[in-house]
Amino acid sequence: MGNTYTLNFPVQEADIRKLALGDMVYLDGEIVMTAGLPTHQRIVRCLENGTELPTDLTNAGFFHLGSYNTEDDGVFDVLYLNPTTSTRFNEYMPTLIRSFGLRAVGGKGGLDRACAEAMKEVGCVYLSFLGGGCTVLSEAIREVTSVSWNDMISHYRIVKLRVEQLGPLTVAIDAHGNSLYDNLQEDAEKAMPQILADLRTAREAAASGDTSR
Amino acid sequence: MTITYDLVKSVAAQVYEAALKKVPEDTKDALRRAMEAETKEVSKKTLNFMLRSALAAEEKDHLVCSDSGIPVYFVKVGTGARLGFDVRQAISDGFDHLVETIKPPILKHVTNPLTLERGYQGKEMPITTFDMIADADHIDMLCSPKALGGGRWAALEIFTFPSLETIETYVMQCVMKAGSQHCPPVIIGVGIGGTFDYAAKLAKEATLRPLGSVNDDPILRDMEARLTKAVNATGFGPMGTGGDTTALAVHVDYAASHGFIPVAVCFNCWINRRMGARIAADGTVTLYE
Repeated sequence: MGNTYTLNFPVQEADIRKLALGDMVYLDGEIVMTAGLPTHQRIVRCLENGTELPTDLTNAGFFHLGSYNTEDDGVFDVLYLNPTTSTRFNEYMPTLIRSFGLRAVGGKGGLDRACAEAMKEVGCVYLSFLGGGCTVLSEAIREVTSVSWNDMISHYRIVKLRVEQLGPLTVAIDAHGNSLYDNLQEDAEKAMPQILADLRTAREAAASGDTSR
Repeated sequence: MTITYDLVKSVAAQVYEAALKKVPEDTKDALRRAMEAETKEVSKKTLNFMLRSALAAEEKDHLVCSDSGIPVYFVKVGTGARLGFDVRQAISDGFDHLVETIKPPILKHVTNPLTLERGYQGKEMPITTFDMIADADHIDMLCSPKALGGGRWAALEIFTFPSLETIETYVMQCVMKAGSQHCPPVIIGVGIGGTFDYAAKLAKEATLRPLGSVNDDPILRDMEARLTKAVNATGFGPMGTGGDTTALAVHVDYAASHGFIPVAVCFNCWINRRMGARIAADGTVTLYE
């Protein structure tokens, strides 16, 4: 554990496949972000209907990031960004990952097993962003390259932007089906009988006046 | 000067902005201690990044998190405070003023639950609750912006004559359900007893207690210590990517109840947003975390 890499988008599949759980990465180049559930639903509807998307997502780094965007005199600007909880997009992400061959996805809190399987197939990793990292993460913003679906509220739009050294981010699901989230949940479930037994012992000790346990 | 509409409006805006931009000192201290204690490289790095992020937000007068949440105010009014104006309206107007003026601007997170439309305003917003303080002539106003990341994992269940074991097992079930997703290390609030609504209030207010403060009740003091240890034994760790620190603290409060006994559990994410202000009878404002 413990390598640090910079991924330069567009990124090669081999650079994604070599990443291991717990590696740290920084991102350079163009990434895609949105925080909207309606956005994910709309993308899936477009795919089902064969409607062309307003922007190309092929092999993209597609991240669950909330952002504040302004548009003054035709100039788009992202004032700040920060991750949002990815699990609420679980239902839609396997379709997005497979349809566009996404190379990296991310946000916070992870994605489920079905997503991890799709990521394994196409060669994609999940990157954990720091929730509450708004000030530092936003320093990586260099240029907004496109904003799509302007009929939606600011942080639901599909925003493409060029970043420099966005991170550090943690590789939390790799491109081989391994998930830190699944591992941790499984470990915690295995540990739970002992945790509950230790709670019982501590309760009994406290009830008998011994608070050293 | 006295306590006026304009003053309450201005303080309502001030505490909200401060809560969005400053991680409380007790929380930064707890994160520092956790970083020193962590054994895994990933968790140490994540905690280090948290501290860096908190300091950067303060230095740059920026938001710690992009999810500025929904406005929640806990107001305690001294029984001797002289008001004579609509305090709720003053707070609401203060929040509106903040939305118009804060730099950088905040996102629309107030959501109509029937239409899912989002904006800055909505029915019952800001959520403001009032309590009284006996023999005082000041107002305490505590702001706790509540966002989705930590907010969505709160839960409540009603038991009948539960043992402490039942209660603690339920807390652990809630912790397991939240898993990696509530931006840990969290502050966990547990409310036991009262009624359905009151247990939730107890849990929420328990999260706002300063870290390191000692519970007055000896049973709860022991419970807090053993539950904190138990939660940290789960290993979800900082940002849920593994480690020894999943909770900075578990705070428990209780109220007498019937044989039906609600247990409420809620979570504050690592940035632990809270900022309070005491408005004295002469209009002097003192901020507290």
